[in-house]
Amino acid sequence: MSALPRTLEPAFAEERRDRGALAREWRLMRWPARASLVMLVIFYLFAAASPLIAPYDPVRQYRDLPDCPPMALHLTRGADRVHGWLFAYPLKMVDPLARRFVPDLSRKTYLRFFYRGHLFTTEDASTPYFLMGSEGLGRDLFSRIVYGARVSMCIGLVGVLISFSLGLFVGAFSGYVGGRIDNLIMRWCEIEMSLPQFYFLLALAAVIPSGVSTVTSFFLIVAIMSFISWASFARVIRGMAAAIRAEPFVVAGRALGGSRARILARHVIPAMLGFAAINASLSIPGYMLGESALSLLGLGIQEPAASWGNLLSQAMDPQNIEHYPWVLLPGLFLSLAVMAFNFLGDHLRDRLAPGNLR
Amino acid sequence: MPDASRRRLNRVLPRALDDTRDCHTGVLRSRPSRVLPLMGLPLMRLWPCVLLLACGCRVNRPPNDHAATQTLYSSMGSDPGTFNPILVTDSASADAIGDLFEGLVKQNPKTNLIEPDLASTWTLGPDGRTITFHLRHDVRWSDGVPFTAADVLFTLRVIFDPNVPNSISFALTIDGSPITAEAPDPYTVVMHLKRPFAPLMSSIQFPIIPAHTLSHAYSSGQFNRTWGIDTPPAQLVSLGAYRIVRYVPGQQIAFRRYADYWMHDPNGGRLPRLHGQVLLINTDANSRYLQFVAGLTDVYSPRPEEVFTLEQQAARLGITIAPVGIDTGSLFFAFNRNPRHYIHNGVIDPRYKWFTDINFVRALAHAVDKQGMINLCFRGLAIPAVSDVSPENKLYYNPNLKDYDYNLALAAHLLDEAGYKLRDGVRYDPAGHRVEFELTTTAGDEALRGEMCVIFKQDLEKLGIKVDYRPQEFISLVKRLEKSFDWDCMLMGFTGSLEPNDGANFLRSSGNLHLWNPSEPTPATPWEAEIDRLLDEGAAVMDPQARAPYYWRIQEILHDQLPIIETVRARRFIAYKNSLQNYVPTVWGLYRPEMIEFRAD
Repeated sequence: MSALPRTLEPAFAEERRDRGALAREWRLMRWPARASLVMLVIFYLFAAASPLIAPYDPVRQYRDLPDCPPMALHLTRGADRVHGWLFAYPLKMVDPLARRFVPDLSRKTYLRFFYRGHLFTTEDASTPYFLMGSEGLGRDLFSRIVYGARVSMCIGLVGVLISFSLGLFVGAFSGYVGGRIDNLIMRWCEIEMSLPQFYFLLALAAVIPSGVSTVTSFFLIVAIMSFISWASFARVIRGMAAAIRAEPFVVAGRALGGSRARILARHVIPAMLGFAAINASLSIPGYMLGESALSLLGLGIQEPAASWGNLLSQAMDPQNIEHYPWVLLPGLFLSLAVMAFNFLGDHLRDRLAPGNLR
Repeated sequence: MPDASRRRLNRVLPRALDDTRDCHTGVLRSRPSRVLPLMGLPLMRLWPCVLLLACGCRVNRPPNDHAATQTLYSSMGSDPGTFNPILVTDSASADAIGDLFEGLVKQNPKTNLIEPDLASTWTLGPDGRTITFHLRHDVRWSDGVPFTAADVLFTLRVIFDPNVPNSISFALTIDGSPITAEAPDPYTVVMHLKRPFAPLMSSIQFPIIPAHTLSHAYSSGQFNRTWGIDTPPAQLVSLGAYRIVRYVPGQQIAFRRYADYWMHDPNGGRLPRLHGQVLLINTDANSRYLQFVAGLTDVYSPRPEEVFTLEQQAARLGITIAPVGIDTGSLFFAFNRNPRHYIHNGVIDPRYKWFTDINFVRALAHAVDKQGMINLCFRGLAIPAVSDVSPENKLYYNPNLKDYDYNLALAAHLLDEAGYKLRDGVRYDPAGHRVEFELTTTAGDEALRGEMCVIFKQDLEKLGIKVDYRPQEFISLVKRLEKSFDWDCMLMGFTGSLEPNDGANFLRSSGNLHLWNPSEPTPATPWEAEIDRLLDEGAAVMDPQARAPYYWRIQEILHDQLPIIETVRARRFIAYKNSLQNYVPTVWGLYRPEMIEFRAD
């Protein structure tokens, strides 16, 4: 039984090749990878189009609505439909100590879609609708999550871009050239790898000069973080490059008089790109978690700028988790994104494994 | 009673920077570098408390052993810096050794009257310039040596030694000269003052140290290195109600009552009634809260957001949450007016001009949303502050000051009138510079000050002023305040005390905590000169009622010239177990802490 579909599979693939490469890739994905891809697309949409998707200004403080729960939506009935299909009753804080809110049933705030350059928002920005509640200063949590995606989703890309391009070139060069240079570079990598990263970061966060904006200073930290972490990757690449060096196609290239740079760029590095891609997608979550750890400790992205890490710092207070559980939502987004990168990395590994390339 | 409710105004007197809002001590509060969690994941941060909860409640601790052993457990946020009572500069050290040493007199936190301590009686000379203390005869140091006048003279000599850095000397210096003292017999001390000095009785509460133990170290120049935290507790010679029996850095300080303590229960029996105390050291505010909820500690001063939760669970946990009163310190935005920071080689930084421009600062005072801060950061448990003196200080608080209302339109109008024009949403000063400065406060797990800064920043940005908010570690802030002067605007706290002259190190133009321009050689402005003069005159008037107008006028000047913009003042609460008897917290400290005991069940 089991042998039959396997032999049939390539035939199907041949048949549907005309549907386009993207469709074929999609079909080859298993459901976790598909879900991950969709999720990541959504999160990167958050980052790219945050002013459009976020209903409100992420730093606007609704000072009469701190720690406001997510608001219930109601369907509009009858003639009121002209205002919109969905509405919420505006909340009013009756007890600042207990953060108790009661809905004002005499008024309705209607949700408007594609209104004033927002995906959805209320007609009057001063009576907000909080999809995911508000945080301690009365800022819309959903808007902050959307804007926070800019930092949290990009941090990994920037970090991986720097560390992997460095690691790939240095590793490939070192492995291909060999000898004393190889030895020197590898010992240097070992020194860098022995630095305690997190403490190194804490020290760096402390010496970043004042005057640069917090986002700039944070990207500085990420750049530095990736300048440390390229080393371990370079070591792996170096081993692969040393092996590839003896492969017939490289030997042939050398015999035909190809320059060292040309062979590196045209033959050695491309042979390792697949491996690099898998590794990159699997190490992006590391950067995201690193960002959240730093921001959680107040050393990363500073208020009022939002990132998923510093939004989560509100959840460090057990009081907040108990009474305002929605402060954990940024953590949900963070773990979804981390999970998605891991599933996608897994898929890439299967897909790009030797023999699976079609 | 090393708990946060106790204000140590009888220990270290001058006004001090207040790091966290649960700090009730009259001293500089430092915070050690925080212990970092392994990975920084939120749950990782909490796992120690989860463990504590798990083992604390279920395995190790029968629920009532605190009562059975008459041992009071409380917690504090950092390790002590020193065990030397003269050198103390941080509240953790003051908490650690506060019950080890005593002064000649003490102030009753309930009646605010001066009461005998090591001196049983005292008489003031007819000209108000000599004061004679008669010491108790029944006091012994923990090594058995009797306490005598020699100890008092030695302590005074150490305090006034310029080589011993301490904050006590400032409050005891009258017109620049120290108090002289002599001992006609071993149990009498006569002090000579240059002129009548009203704050004397409040300032004379400094801790007395043993001459026979420390004089050798002092004469060999080693005093500043004695009784550091590496000293074995048994070597600390003390005479107060408790002795330290064990100190485990980062974990706890254990106290046992002093067997030879001089104070006795009028009904017979030993004092203090508690047999011992344990002070748990825990740098994380959230886990200090969880420790209290789990019953590991007996007293706790809750943060505003915890008050409600604790009140809800009060019956179940068997605790009482007592309102203590309004914070006696102050919390304010300060602007740097220090020419040493802003003027170099004749080039004046525009920020210097803004911050010394009274119209600019007044406009900013109208941009502080105190009610918003009260609702958002303090859960309504605070009142707007107008003066640097707390309304709890009924005699010296000036009730006639009118607050700067929160009114952004008025603030914008005032800025426009003063020449700070708005163009395309950006505010420019009369010389065409963009109005932009840095705002800082203490970083850390204390979210409250950060939130207040974010609120202020938001309002200033509505006025077109760019604010670069950058929280910093407390210690680095203190260095900036005292040494490099490298700051623009800062949210800072001060501790308060009953005696207004204790704020002299802040108010006086020569003061080391004269934040906006510390240690001025001569007063930089006429109003600063007037404050100096009022302080001198106020200290010379002996009748408290007649003194008040001097300090009212000082508050008026500060309110008018706005070197600091007051924000809000919290309402304080103390939570403690119902099994504690005679636990009477007041805003100025615990009333008769030696009577506290656990109810015998």
